[in-house]
This record gives sequence, structure tokens and C-alpha cells, in this order.
Amino acid sequence: MAFSDLKPIKVGNNSSGDMYIIGGVFAVYTIGSQVPVVYSWDMAKLVNATRKELIYDFGDSEYRIPYKMFNTGEDALTAIAITECMQKEYGFHYQHDKRLFPLKSMYRECPPGKDFYTGEGVLDEGETAAAFIMLLNFRLMKFLWLVALLITLVTFGILQFTVGLTRDNILYLVPISIAAGAITSLIINIIAHAIARGRFKSLADADIASKEPITFVISKNGFAACESCVYQGRDLVPWNEADYFVESDKMFIIYKNNSPVAYIPKRAFEKKSIGGIADIIALYLEQR
Amino acid sequence: MSVEIKSETVDLDGKSAVLVSVKNGEDIIGTCHAGLIHRSENAANTTRLFYIGNEPIANILCPNYGNKNSDKLISLCPGLQAFDPHIYEVINECFDKLNNDNPLPAALRDIFCLLSDGVYAVYVSDYYPTDGSGSFFWGGYNVSHEVRGTAEINRTIGADKTYKPCFLIPTQPLEYYKPKEMIRVGEISKTRKIHGIAYHISGFHSALLKGHYDALSCIENDIPFKCAVIEKITEPYTEIITAKPAAPAAETPEEGAAEQKTEDIAAAVAREGITGFRCPSLKIPLEAIPKEMLRIILTTPAEYKPEHFNVLNAKLGTIRKKSVSNNILPITILEKSEQMPDCSMVESAYAIKSLSDEELNCLLAGDVEHNGEVIVSPNFYSSIVTACNFLQFTDIKRFVDFSIAIMDNPELIATHEYVAKRACSLDTNKKLYSFFKNAVDGGETKYEKILPTAKIFVERYRAASR
Repeated sequence: MAFSDLKPIKVGNNSSGDMYIIGGVFAVYTIGSQVPVVYSWDMAKLVNATRKELIYDFGDSEYRIPYKMFNTGEDALTAIAITECMQKEYGFHYQHDKRLFPLKSMYRECPPGKDFYTGEGVLDEGETAAAFIMLLNFRLMKFLWLVALLITLVTFGILQFTVGLTRDNILYLVPISIAAGAITSLIINIIAHAIARGRFKSLADADIASKEPITFVISKNGFAACESCVYQGRDLVPWNEADYFVESDKMFIIYKNNSPVAYIPKRAFEKKSIGGIADIIALYLEQR
Repeated sequence: MSVEIKSETVDLDGKSAVLVSVKNGEDIIGTCHAGLIHRSENAANTTRLFYIGNEPIANILCPNYGNKNSDKLISLCPGLQAFDPHIYEVINECFDKLNNDNPLPAALRDIFCLLSDGVYAVYVSDYYPTDGSGSFFWGGYNVSHEVRGTAEINRTIGADKTYKPCFLIPTQPLEYYKPKEMIRVGEISKTRKIHGIAYHISGFHSALLKGHYDALSCIENDIPFKCAVIEKITEPYTEIITAKPAAPAAETPEEGAAEQKTEDIAAAVAREGITGFRCPSLKIPLEAIPKEMLRIILTTPAEYKPEHFNVLNAKLGTIRKKSVSNNILPITILEKSEQMPDCSMVESAYAIKSLSDEELNCLLAGDVEHNGEVIVSPNFYSSIVTACNFLQFTDIKRFVDFSIAIMDNPELIATHEYVAKRACSLDTNKKLYSFFKNAVDGGETKYEKILPTAKIFVERYRAASR
């Protein structure tokens, strides 16, 4: 099991006075009881990691642990990591919001080997939003040309129908039609950028790891993009867990099932190693 | 931070068990995960490491992503060659204290300081100094191989029952064996109350921290090899408790006690979650575990890498796939090891509670059921094999009678060869000798399958009686 050395996390519920221990088992110390209620993970029916809390459903009982109850953000991330590793081991149902980085259940305990690159950094909002926009442009570009051409023709048609085409006004109508097409595509582009930025913001809000320092590892055995406070240096996501990657001027974005699983900023690594990193990724994944 | 060791004796249904908690332990002796080895895209083996100080002792390869039902492949490392003398001293001192009538937790206190954090059960138990397949343990792991009985959950015994580990893994390589030392230790060993200290590794197997020569001496002198055993308590277990009907009222009922018992049963039935924590030999309900110890179990990973893991990892290249020693153990030791109960027998003994004569007669008649209930298994051959193992482990006289009855029955010819080999592993037995002698001399066709084994037994018996 990956992340096997993570120490269990204690969380106190200020309102009820209960205390939870999330580790190899899930334990609940309620006020006044001498013996805790302890659940093994095979008893878990559903765990839901929402934006604000972790919800553990053990059939008869449900426990809600808001992130603010954890002593530190590191504790909350460790609790999520333990839960995801247990999910991999015991197969209970796990729901979660979208993530910027791979789930811990995708990792395997596997040392990076001899040739590997490692870096650390916080995911920058501007960089990631730019990557989102780049991806959006990548998809929209052909479509935008078509829209611009269509709007140009439609505008030209409307003008001809309403004003009528003469030798005098043709010099005005053609540029007006082209300008209409260009302005429309520009507006679409601006809206798309706003959507991309909004998408990143909502993704960053959903993932509490977005503001944490992240350790990035690229090796022939796999890759890692994991919160530095949780990462132990011996766990990797094997390359066969991913499908393809996209490279922008500032990032590598790794995809699985057409959804991004990891955003790896080039800034986190030394400049001289970017070429080597791109070679390793390209060796195992198709570039799109 | 200094090491905190606390010991408590807990009562488990009238039997007492000694628990020892370790906090801020030195992580000098223990086991840890050492990574994943991919065999193909969908299959991988996890590896565990048993280490002492900076030395990896045994590499334990756990197939199928560490499946608890799978036996492990054990490879020994060079062992304690560059061993810290401090650890030797601690272990030797503890061993001396054990034999000077000190209570177990007090005698082993210094060893507990060397362990990783957690709660341990400690007790004294008889061990068979073999690898569980008839080889003396010291030479039994010279070639890296899958060791029978090392699965955490034994398929025969099941996940729910407890069992006492009884086979050994050496912590010293065979090249350390010196015949002179054996003679020296041999005499002292006879007077010892406890002959070794074992640390449980997996399934039926424990690593022998101290007592390699004592094991040789015990087996040579036919003395039970008693070990102080340390087992880490990590596994949660759940038991479905059903309230039993109330017993008839006593003449002078104790009202308070009766009410308390009813409340306890009700609480146990109503309680959510797991029942308690266990190690192979003990199941301890949550209520019985002292509060502080329970908290240690809950807040400590079952296994974690020590700080010096990188040093150990760097030495993993020293794992031996085959023997590097020319040392040969005495032939009497090897022969006696072969005759000791093996893993199949021990499993059978734990899997079956008892076998009555009526049930054995049913098996002999070719039935697998008695009074409408399956005796051992719905499979007849499996039933015979398990019954033989159980009887050989628990009652030699009944085993001899049963095996002779099987071999005498031509309808059970499919089982003859196996039963004959099982019977042949007995050292000397007059009744068996007479039977095998008749089989060899008589030349009847029904004994066709047992003849080679019978000849070996007869020759060995004659040689022994000369």
C-alpha cells in the first residue's frame, strides 16, 4: 500500500466533544464512553470528500468532520490521503470533487529509481489558468474560424437584404461584415477565457491542496504530484495509469480518460532538466 | 524522547495475557514495508523486511499485492554479521534474566526498548525448530523459497481462529554454526527453562533472536524448545456476538452480578464497529485493552519504516537466493526435524476441534458425514488427509490405528500412498512395523502402493533396534 507510513490523525470535534482517529482504522471517542467505537475500513459504506468536510458513512452511523476541525491543513491532507489509500485497499465507495492532482489511490509504493527529476512549488493561479485557456484555445481554434466566417457571411447577407448591394456601398459592407465576424469571435474568446479562469478558481476552491506546496517527481517508474507534507518520496503513479499529455509553455498536463489528472508546472524544476522531463513523459505517454 | 514501556496483564475469559506497550521505541528490531515489485501490468508483489539494527535479516516477498491469504517467499540476508555489539548484549542480558525467573515483561524490557512503537503480546510457548516443512530452521532457508504457513490468514484455519506460531526463521546465517559451540551450549541448555527469544514475523513463523544452539541441543536431547514470544497486536477483528439464553436461576442468585452480566452482553451485542484487536495467538476485545494501550494501537501505523530505512534499503542487494555456507548440521538433527510436526499437521490441529471414534469409522467407511454433519470436509480425500494430520499431531496411538485401518482397506487405495508416507515419518512404532512387515512379506496386491514406503520403514526400524 502506498503512503503506508502516514501516522494516524487525531481530530477533535469542538461542538460535540467527540474525538476521531483516522488511521489503520477509524475510531470515535465519544464524551463519557470509556471504550471508543472502532471501525475497520471494510465496514465503510461511503466516504465523501466535499469542499468543506469529510463524511464517513459506516452504515448505521455517519460522521462529518469539517476541515476546519483539523489542527492544521497538513492533518486534513493526511486524513484524505489515508482515506484514499484505504479506499484502494478495501474498495468502499468514495466520492470527491474535482482534483488538481492524482488521488492517492492511484499511487503505488515504488521508489523513483536512479533517473528521476524532482521539484517543489505551489500551483500558480495565473499559470494554471493560462494552461486552461491554452487547452480551451486548442479546442476552440478551428471552431472560432468557422464562427467568424459564418458571422461574416450572415452579416453580409443581412446587410444585402436590408440595405441592398450597390457599387457605392460594397466597399463599406464587406469590411463591416468581416469586422462583425472578428468581433464576435473575440467576444467568444473573452467569454471562454473568463470561463477557463472561473473553472480553475472553482477547481482550486474544491481542492484544498491547491494552496499547499506540491512535490513533483518524474521518473521512468512513474510520476508524482503530491502535497509535500504527505509525500514520503517512495510513492509514484505508474505511467499506465495515464493516457496522454499536453505540453504548454509553462506546464505539462497529464490526462486520464480525457480528464486532467495532474498539472505539472515547469517552474517547479530546474530549467536544464525540462528537456529530460519532456523526454521521459513522451517515452511513456502520447503527446496531443 | 526516552522510551516508555508499560506492561499490563489482562484477563481474557479466565486466561491471562501479558501486554506490553512501547512508546518512542528505538526501531532497532522490527519489520517494515520495502516496496512493490511489478511482475506484470496487473500483478505485483510487495516486499517486507525484517531488520535488526542496520542489518536486513530477511526479505519477505508477499505475492499478489501482499495478499494475506498467500504464503510468503523468504530470502535471508547475510544476517547479523556487522551487528552492533550493544544489541547482542541487550538480547543476551534479557535471555539471562528470563532464565533467572524474572517475569516476562521485566526480563524482556530492554528488548522492548529496541522495538517500534505499538502494543505487543508476550508469552512462553513451545516451538518446533523447523521451517514448517521438516527442515531444521537454521538450514531451512538456505535457498530462497515460498514458505508454507507464512500467510497471515491461514486457509485451513480461517481468519477467525487464533493459533500459536510455532516455526522459526534464523537471524544468524548458517556459516556461523560451529559444532564446538553446540557442545558447549548443549549442556547448559538442558537446565534452561526458556531456550530462546522469538519475534513473530508472519503466519506460523517467528524470527529467533536468541537460541540457535539451544534449538540444536533441544532437538538432539528431545527437549521441548521453549521460547519467549513477542507478537505485535495490530489487526482489527469483528465477532458477531449472539446473546445466549439466560441460564436457570441459581438457588441464591446474586442480583447485581446477574444484571451486570446482562448489561455486558447487551452492550457487546449493541456495539458498533470492530470487537477488538488481535495478533495470531490472542484476540483482545476493546474493553479488555487498557485505555492508554488502545490509544497507542489506534495512533500508530501497524508497520512503518524506521529512520535508517535508507541504510537497510541500500543493503537489499545482499539478499541471498541460495546458500553460501558449506556448514552441515548433524544428521541426527536433520532426521529428527523431519519427524517433527509440519505445517499441515499444525494447521489441521487448529482447524479441527476433535474427531470421535464414530467419525473416524465413518471416514473409514468412505462417508464424509456423521449424523448429517460434514466431519471434516465434503471432499473425501481432503478429509482423510486432514484427519491424519490432526491425529498425528494430537494422538499418535489413534493415528497409528487409523492409518493402519486405511491402508488395510483396498477401497481407500487412493489415499494409501499419502497415509503410508505420513505413518513412515513416525520414528519407531512396533504396531506399524508389524503392519508394514506383513505388507512387505505378504506381497498382497492391496498393499501395492505402500510397498516402497513400507520397505523404508521396516529397514529403518530394524537398523534402529540393532
